[in-house]
Amino acid sequence: MNPEDSHLQCPLCGQSHRAPFLEPGQRALCVRCGATLAERGRLGPDAALVFALTGLVLALPSLLLPFVTLTKVGNERTVLLSGGVEGLWMSGFGLLASLVLFCGILAPLGLLTLLVAVLWAETRANPVEWHETLRHWAHGVERWAMPEVQILGVMVAFFKLGTVVNLSVGPGLWCYGAASLFTLLAWRRFSLQPRGQQARATPAPASA
Amino acid sequence: MKALRPPDRSSATHAAALAISAVIMLVPAYSLPVMHLGIAGQVASDTTILSGILQLWRDGLGGLAAIVFTASFLVPLLKLAGLGCLLVAARHRPGSHARLLTRIYGAVNFIGRWSMLDVFLVAFLSGAVRFGKLASVEPRPGILAFGAVVVLTMLATHRFDPRILWTEAPSAGSGPDDARAVQAAVPRPSAFLSPSS
Ligand SMILES: [Zn+2]
Repeated sequence: MNPEDSHLQCPLCGQSHRAPFLEPGQRALCVRCGATLAERGRLGPDAALVFALTGLVLALPSLLLPFVTLTKVGNERTVLLSGGVEGLWMSGFGLLASLVLFCGILAPLGLLTLLVAVLWAETRANPVEWHETLRHWAHGVERWAMPEVQILGVMVAFFKLGTVVNLSVGPGLWCYGAASLFTLLAWRRFSLQPRGQQARATPAPASA
Repeated sequence: MKALRPPDRSSATHAAALAISAVIMLVPAYSLPVMHLGIAGQVASDTTILSGILQLWRDGLGGLAAIVFTASFLVPLLKLAGLGCLLVAARHRPGSHARLLTRIYGAVNFIGRWSMLDVFLVAFLSGAVRFGKLASVEPRPGILAFGAVVVLTMLATHRFDPRILWTEAPSAGSGPDDARAVQAAVPRPSAFLSPSS
């Protein structure tokens, strides 16, 4: 076993700990700064993979189905999830369009793909050696994946346009919302899941 | 892995440079218009971040105005103020209030993404509201400056290594072999195992 698996280093303060055995529903906290280091959910170990897979399955319709339909005195417009990116791009804001494309679409999609790949690799008896690299990438991508912020932005827009334009939510937006929820659920379990010795089914023997 | 590297002292200098750039970009972000709204029968108007919030308030959408005010105004300012505290503390009084400051870092890290709200809002409106003379929304340069504030602040937070807030070395070495030396710390006392909410 990788010796790293049996201990936990706090990402915030650098304190290292021996990994405790966690019962379902328990968390391990850093003794020095109090940060949550690991958490064993009440659901089984495969829950994160199931959530990530569901999110990935929902991602495709969220890209392709109508996101929002707008009507203004008889004129109807249907926009896709990528509508905001196009709007900025056509107005000459290419840099900002790239940022919205990355934070709203590419990073969330990349995160789900990485989560599925890593979690699937870890269900195998001998995880392939690149799973640590993918895990590292997932942490890098997660900071920039903001689907829940995009949803709040769209909701604010709905209220703002309330009197100006008629809006209706399309199936694409529902799928995007659901995918975003499953991403959050998968990420929480993924980033705090007990690993290695901690993840074993039985408590570690009372130490010498 | 990041966690196994020694604390990065140079991180504070880089984070400070990024945070100062973000503070400078706050000026155009809040003073320039972020979008242009044209509706048939109404006077076309440019909106800034703050006038957009005020408009929501006037339209009787107080709750929504509070959300946007928090995400677009309070969060960027609190984030930069929090980062400023951390940078000053790391430089002048390392080791004092390390636990509190580490908590502040965690909070700054957590709230950061929500200030992208206005960028997503303007993007959505300018993509969706394209009815020519009837109704149209176009982005304006203020939103680019605001996007820069958000990105620079996030980069500053990521660059800052909170471990430099602690002066004394962790109570065990950073090598995996030392992990057993701190075994008493976690598993036994129930205080360190808490039911998750
Ligand atoms: Zn800690």
